[in-house]
Amino acid sequence: MTKTIVTIFLFTLFTTSFHAFAENKKEKVIVEYKKYERFDLGNLEIQGSVIAPGDVSVKERERKVLETDFYEKKDYFPDIRRDVLNLK
Amino acid sequence: MKKIIIKLLLIFIICFEAFGSLEKARQLYNDPKVERKNEKITYELIMGDYYFSAIPFAIKHIASTQKINPEFEKALKALVVKAGPEIFFDVSTEVLVKHDSPTLYFVLGLRYFHEKNYALAIKYLEKVPDNNYLQPEVRLTKGAAYSLLGNSDAGYTEYKKCYNYAESAVSSSANDKIKRYYAILKETCSIHVARLKFTSQEYDKSIEAYDEIDKTSYKWPYVLLEKAWVKFKQKDYNRTLGLLVTYKYPLLESYFMPESELLTALSYHKLCLWEDALSVVDQYYKIYKPRSEALASVLIKNKTSDNYFFYLTHESTQMLEAKHPFIKSLITQIKKTVKYNVEYGAYKIAMKEATLLKKMNRDDFIRVLIEETDTQINSKIKSLNWYIKEYMYEFINKINGLSFQLFKIRIDIMSKKRDLIYKGTQLISDRGRGDLKHVNRTVDEQFWEFTGEFWADELGDYSFGLKSNCEEVKQRTFEDVKQEILEEEKSQKKKDDDSSKGVKND
Repeated sequence: MTKTIVTIFLFTLFTTSFHAFAENKKEKVIVEYKKYERFDLGNLEIQGSVIAPGDVSVKERERKVLETDFYEKKDYFPDIRRDVLNLK
Repeated sequence: MKKIIIKLLLIFIICFEAFGSLEKARQLYNDPKVERKNEKITYELIMGDYYFSAIPFAIKHIASTQKINPEFEKALKALVVKAGPEIFFDVSTEVLVKHDSPTLYFVLGLRYFHEKNYALAIKYLEKVPDNNYLQPEVRLTKGAAYSLLGNSDAGYTEYKKCYNYAESAVSSSANDKIKRYYAILKETCSIHVARLKFTSQEYDKSIEAYDEIDKTSYKWPYVLLEKAWVKFKQKDYNRTLGLLVTYKYPLLESYFMPESELLTALSYHKLCLWEDALSVVDQYYKIYKPRSEALASVLIKNKTSDNYFFYLTHESTQMLEAKHPFIKSLITQIKKTVKYNVEYGAYKIAMKEATLLKKMNRDDFIRVLIEETDTQINSKIKSLNWYIKEYMYEFINKINGLSFQLFKIRIDIMSKKRDLIYKGTQLISDRGRGDLKHVNRTVDEQFWEFTGEFWADELGDYSFGLKSNCEEVKQRTFEDVKQEILEEEKSQKKKDDDSSKGVKND
């Protein structure tokens, strides 16, 4: 039993140390980008559906309609009554 | 010289007769055996021109007798004419109804009119016979009662009769004051017809009735505003503005009507001349705010007084001017009203009576008469005080009410201006000005050009010639300007090309 445990421990130790060594040995990759690239904007296509709005927009809210019932003469009944009361 | 002597003799005879009548009335009062004592005393006092002194005796007779005779009917007429029908308003209905008296039926009808019981008012006014002297007043009151009950057709019939009765009263009266009174009554009937036509939206007929009022009439300045409302309803805003500009005439200074400012602002608003409408609104606040404050200070300080406003009308022009020029003008306006003149005339008669009575030896009879005339004088002062106070309160309430209406116009203009900005549009021109082609005229309407001067014969016939500014045009944007430049460049290039071709051909 003790032997089995020691074997497993040693195996694990060996594997991890090997991996660490291998990583240190990795080659350094140098990426070179194109120094000049021409984009044909007119030819560009966006694939898929566009969900973002094209330009700035504000959601229209309901306009408050102001009261415009201006005073307008409809009749002269109070004046007719006053004329009689002030007759004599 | 002869004329002066005749006049002095006449005055002496009148004074003698008056004194004689008073003496007879005194004897009747002191004699316990006399029958129909109150009736006889009434006759004697009226004969001596002691109308206010006769009132309690007349009332006692009406209450005690079962039937009044034609002679007493004449006495009642004299009392109603000199002291006013309200002297009998406190007499109970049972007492007034039991006599078949046209004068008392008129009193009853008028009292029910005051109480807004128009059906009963008509019932009693109908009992006044057609040949009675009160027919112009009866027909006017009946016309108003029918109108207020919503029966315009019956109203027109009554007003038509009122006009005819008043017209014949004008021609049959010898006294100038009475002539003027009936002329005003006749015009009032025409104005009421015009008002009813206005209510039923028969605007052309309304104008016809208003045109019955002569320019020299006391009622004419008031009619201008009403005519302007008719023209406004007919959408003739230029004529509306022309009628209202008449109030700027220097001699109509005391006829200031805040409602005319509102109607002016409304007319400019309808023509989309917003800057003009806003300037009227600003002007209104500038003019009427200090006036309202001055009036409020006078009203608040003296609102509980029973006579302050009455005596205010007696103050000199300088004193009133010192209070506020507006108070002076308002008092002038009140003093021109029919109600003030009739009531003040009655007050003066009562004062004259009291002065004469107070110079006499004071026995029981004279003391009773002095007490009665003093009561009547106080009643007249209170009544006139109330009338003036009410007039002023109504005026101040109108100023404040209209101020709110003008505020609404201002808000609406601001809102419309904002809408134009949002839509990227503007009105066709910022200030459309006058032109003769925008003046509407009927065949019988006058037209005068206003050149900064008022002429009496032109008054009331002015019209503005403003073009409506309500058309909207698109505003130039940055894109429009860019497009214009490109087009200009293109045309320039084309020109250059053409000219170079021409050179080659040569």
